[in-house]
Amino acid sequence: MGTGGWIILGLIAAIVIWVIMTYNRMIAAKNQADNAWSQIDVQLKRRHDLIPNLVQVVKDAMGYEQETLKAVIEARNKALTAQGPAEISQAENALTLATSKLLALTEAYPDLKANTNISQLQEELTATENKISFARQFYNDSVMGFNNALQMFPNNLIARQFAFTPREHFAVPETEKSVPQVKLR
Amino acid sequence: MVQLATAAVGATDFLTAQRANQRATNILLAALTALAGGLGYLAGWALEANHAAPSSYSAPRSIWFFSAWGQWLAIAIAVASLGWSWISLRFGARMVLAMTGGNEVTKEQEPQLHNIVDELSIAAGRRPPRVFVVETDALNAFATGTSEQNAAIGVTRGLLKALNREELQGVIGHEMGHVANLDTRYMTIVGVTVGLIALIADMILRGTRWGTGGRRSSDSKGGGAAAILMLILFIIALLAPLAANLVRMAVSRQREYLADATSVRFTRNPAGLISALQKIDSGTNIFPGVSKATEHLFIINPVHKMTETTSALMATHPDTGARIDRLRNLGIR
Repeated sequence: MGTGGWIILGLIAAIVIWVIMTYNRMIAAKNQADNAWSQIDVQLKRRHDLIPNLVQVVKDAMGYEQETLKAVIEARNKALTAQGPAEISQAENALTLATSKLLALTEAYPDLKANTNISQLQEELTATENKISFARQFYNDSVMGFNNALQMFPNNLIARQFAFTPREHFAVPETEKSVPQVKLR
Repeated sequence: MVQLATAAVGATDFLTAQRANQRATNILLAALTALAGGLGYLAGWALEANHAAPSSYSAPRSIWFFSAWGQWLAIAIAVASLGWSWISLRFGARMVLAMTGGNEVTKEQEPQLHNIVDELSIAAGRRPPRVFVVETDALNAFATGTSEQNAAIGVTRGLLKALNREELQGVIGHEMGHVANLDTRYMTIVGVTVGLIALIADMILRGTRWGTGGRRSSDSKGGGAAAILMLILFIIALLAPLAANLVRMAVSRQREYLADATSVRFTRNPAGLISALQKIDSGTNIFPGVSKATEHLFIINPVHKMTETTSALMATHPDTGARIDRLRNLGIR
């Protein structure tokens, strides 16, 4: 084999190594995004479990606010049955809106504010809301990493070969961005 | 090419940034070990040159020889540097926790603190660290741990009382930033190396002092060149520890800014950390049991107030006002 042959062989080897490394990096980014998504799932489930407790504690003291309570329960039920990232993020955002409204209203009831049960529940809900938004933030960062690894040239040539598809971000609708912050202290 | 591609993607999330940071730390460790080895060789060479020279009055030997002492000292120093680093990395976290006198708290004891730590662990995409409370009225917080397994975050009782949830989140975010940026590992290795450089410089100083004394009495012509070289070595040995310390403090200050920025990246809320820093700065931050070796791990210097430090160049933490200014700029963006 002549020098030209060796050069071609070397080039082929380099390309094969590059393909393997790029493929592995895409798999790692995909797994990280999957894991980040399951983290959001864990926190969402936790919120679904917390809400009935909150509703139970608040129900007696807030006789007048049946509408708000009903809205929270409905939003929770919708969130429980939602499927796929787009639908889930929409339903969960509605639930965030409903619970933050309920929490804001509890401020107006002195009985509730003095209740240690409710202040514990408030802390848990605040923490869960934060965890959801941080998990979402981390998920979106991971999705961006994954999508970058897929769509940047020349990686996109390989992504097409292995049928990798970009992932959806967990979207935050305009309405949620404008929600006033609930002061808990 | 692969490295460049990773770097481009690396800016997007913390786990990738962390891996890049770890690579940088390894390179630093290698460079510092080489430096320590090089200095070790110089020290051995100085000792050998002076050991041989004063005894032979007649023929001053050339200073350009391969020093066997230097070779062995270089190897010994490099091994000591790696060993010392390994021990510090392995047991450092435990030592820091023992020194600060913090107690580990459970979720039942401090639900809110644990919640905040859990929240920020999710934001950082890593396992929650252990949580400690130091029973003192001083306002301070620290992070330690050289790996995901032994990471720990501690706050003082005074801080828990003084800050609201939003502010506490900012402070824990800063400490989580130290953990996520692997600052403990980085600063441990830097600290070990600075200590080693001081040690070797001291050896060189001793070596050259003997040497110049011997030479002056010998009064031989050939000793002149060697004496000048010894003088240069003497100056290097005098300045090296100072320079190493300056670098260490500069690194420490940059890491504080980085941890502040990381906190905001986690919480997306600079207001909490700004207000927390203002409260912390106006209170007492000093508490016993903290030595100079661990001061860079705290949110604010626990050994002395910023205003009391003689020089900003030798401070572990940037001026709090400067930190707040940078955070304000992050907020505007």
